[in-house]
Amino acid sequence: MKKNKMTTTPIEKQENRKKYLVSYKKEKLIMSIVFLLPWLFGLAFLFVIPLFRSFRYSFFNLTPQSGQILEEFIGFDNYLYAINTHVTTTSSFKVELLTTTFDVAINLPVLLIFSLFIAVMLNMKFKGRAIVRAIFFVPVILNSAAVATALGSGDAINAILEQSGIGTIFDLEFYLLQTGMAPFLITFITGLIDRIYDILALAGVPILLFLASIQSIPKHLYEAAKIEGATGYEMFWLITLPNVTPHIITVTVFALVDTFLTSPVSRIISDELNVQHWGLSSAMAWIYVGTIVVLLLIIGGIAKLLKIGESHYEN
Amino acid sequence: MKTKIMNYFKNLIQSIRNKFNDPVVNMRRSRKIQAFAMASVRTILLAGLCFVILFPTIQQILQALRAPQDVNNPAVIWIPETWSVMNIKIAAMVLDYKAALFNTAKLSFISMFLQIASTALAGYAFSRLKFKGSNILFILVILTIIVPPQALSLAQYFYFRDFRIGFLEWFGIDTRLLGKEGAIYLMSGLGMGIRSGIFIYIFRSFFKGLPKELEESAIIDGASVFRTFWSVMLPNARGALVTVGLFAFVWQWNDAYYVKIFEVSTAEFPLLTMRLLNAAEGMYASLFYTGALNLIGQDVWANPVFLSLISNVSALLMMLPLLIMYLFVQKSFVESIERTGIVG
Repeated sequence: MKKNKMTTTPIEKQENRKKYLVSYKKEKLIMSIVFLLPWLFGLAFLFVIPLFRSFRYSFFNLTPQSGQILEEFIGFDNYLYAINTHVTTTSSFKVELLTTTFDVAINLPVLLIFSLFIAVMLNMKFKGRAIVRAIFFVPVILNSAAVATALGSGDAINAILEQSGIGTIFDLEFYLLQTGMAPFLITFITGLIDRIYDILALAGVPILLFLASIQSIPKHLYEAAKIEGATGYEMFWLITLPNVTPHIITVTVFALVDTFLTSPVSRIISDELNVQHWGLSSAMAWIYVGTIVVLLLIIGGIAKLLKIGESHYEN
Repeated sequence: MKTKIMNYFKNLIQSIRNKFNDPVVNMRRSRKIQAFAMASVRTILLAGLCFVILFPTIQQILQALRAPQDVNNPAVIWIPETWSVMNIKIAAMVLDYKAALFNTAKLSFISMFLQIASTALAGYAFSRLKFKGSNILFILVILTIIVPPQALSLAQYFYFRDFRIGFLEWFGIDTRLLGKEGAIYLMSGLGMGIRSGIFIYIFRSFFKGLPKELEESAIIDGASVFRTFWSVMLPNARGALVTVGLFAFVWQWNDAYYVKIFEVSTAEFPLLTMRLLNAAEGMYASLFYTGALNLIGQDVWANPVFLSLISNVSALLMMLPLLIMYLFVQKSFVESIERTGIVG
C-alpha cells in the first residue's frame, strides 16, 4: 500500500483525475438521457405524434362510423369555416378570438403592472404579512372551471340580492360620468373593477413569480442605496424594477397562455370536440396556436426594441 | 405683564419656527410622514383586496348554513335566520360526496407524485446535465406550454381507446386505459399532464439557481450523478417541490377537461368536478334522481333561487377540502417563495 502511494507521480495523479472526469462526463450524458426518458416518451407519443395527427385532421372532414372513422379530404375548408361561418348560440369563433386577442393586448399590461405592484407590497415588512400572502394565493386554488360554471349557472347571491331589492349600493359608473370623463375610459375602469376577482385569480401566479424574482435581488444593493439616502420610491425605480425586468418575459408568456386557456375560445374548441366536429376543432386549435405564436413574436419584438429581458448589469 | 405674555408667545413661535427650519428634523419628519402614509395606503389596499378575495367564500359558507326554508324569506340576506346543515346534506347527496371526494383525492395525490417525479427529473436534466441539443429540446418544452390541450386530446383519445398490453390481456387483466384513471396517471408520469411544461420550467430554473459548489463537492466525495441529484440537489429544492406539488394537486383537483375527454368519471368512479358540472347543468334532475327532493317541501324546491343555492353549496363543498389543505401547507408554501429561485 505504502509503495503504491509513493509511486503515483503528480502527472499520474492528474491523468487519473482526467480519466475520472471523463468517465463522470460520460455518466452525466447517460444519466441525462435516463432522466429525460419518461419525458421523451411522453413527448413522442403524447405530444409530437398527436400534434401532427391533429394537423392532418384539420384538413379532413371526419365522421365517426361504427368502429372506424371516415376521412374525407377537404383542404382548407375547416379553417375557412371556422373563421367565416362558425357561430354558436351567443357568439362565434371569430368574435371570441378577436375579443380575446384585444383583451390580451389591453389587459396584459394592466395585469403585469398590478401584479408587480402587489408583489412589491407583499415584499415589504409589515404585521400580518404571512397571512396576507396566504390569502392572495387563495384565488389560484379556487380557480376552477367547474366551480365557475356552478356559480355562474344561477348566481344565487345576485338573485337573493335582487329578491330583496338591493341593487348596486354605490354606482361608480354614474359618479364617473358626472365628472365628465371619456365614456370609453369609464367602461374600461368599471370593467376592471367588476372583474377584480378574476384579475386577482389571473394575477396569482404572476405575483408569485414577481415575488420570487424580487427576493432574488441581492440585499446589499438596498443597503448601499439606503446609506446614500435614497427614498423607497427611488429604490423601486432604480433597483427593483431593473432587476425584475428580465423576468417580465416569463410572466408575460405565462399570463398570455393562461388567458387564452381560460378564454371562451378554448371553450368553443372543446365544445366542438365534444360534438364530434373533430376536423373543425383541430383547425380551430391550430388557428389558436397560430394566434398565440404571432402574439409571442410581437411581444418578443417589443421586448427586444425596449431591451426588456436583458440583464441590467451586463453592459 | 402684557409684554411678558407677548414675549412668551414670541419665543414659542420662534422655537417652533426653528424646529421647522432645522433640516435634520425636517428630513426626519418628512420620512416619518412618508412612512406613515405608505403604511396606511398599503393597509387599506391590501385589506380591501383580501376582503374581495375572502368575501365570496364567507358568503357561500353563510348561505350553506341557512335552513332551506329561508329561501322563501326575503328578510334573510346575509345571516341565516335558522341555522341548519340541511343544504350541505342535500349538496352532499347531489355530489355523491363521500365516494367522489375519496376518488378525487386519490387521483390528485397519485398524479401529483407522478408529475413531480417526471418533471423534476426532466428539469434537472435540462439544467445540470446539459448535452448537445438539450437547448433545442427545451424549446419543445416551451411548445408544450403554448399548444392547447384541445389540439392534442383527439389523437390522445384514440391512443387510449386502442391501448392494450397484449400479454397481460391473455391473463384476463383489463388493461384498457379509456374511462380509467390510468389515462391520467400515464399522462402525468410521462410529463405531459396538466401544465407539466410549466413545472419543468420551474424545476429547471430552480436547479439552475443552486450553487455549483454543491455539485462539485458531491463529485469530489465520489457521488454518482443520481446520488448527487437524490441526496444533494433534491433536498435543497424543497421550495420548488412544494410549489410544484401544490399546483399539480390543485390543478388536478379542479380539472374538468381531461377527466371529461378521457371519460374518467363514471358511476362507479365519481369525481367531484364532473359531478358538480352535471349537477349545475341540471340541478332539478340531480335533486330528483338522488332523492333529495323528499327532504324538503315543494314550496322550497319550486323556488329557482333554491336550485342555484344548492349548486353554490356544492361548489363550496368541492373547494372546502382544498381550502383546509391549503391552511396546512400555506406556511411552507409562502416560505418556499422566500427561499428564492422559482425564477432563475
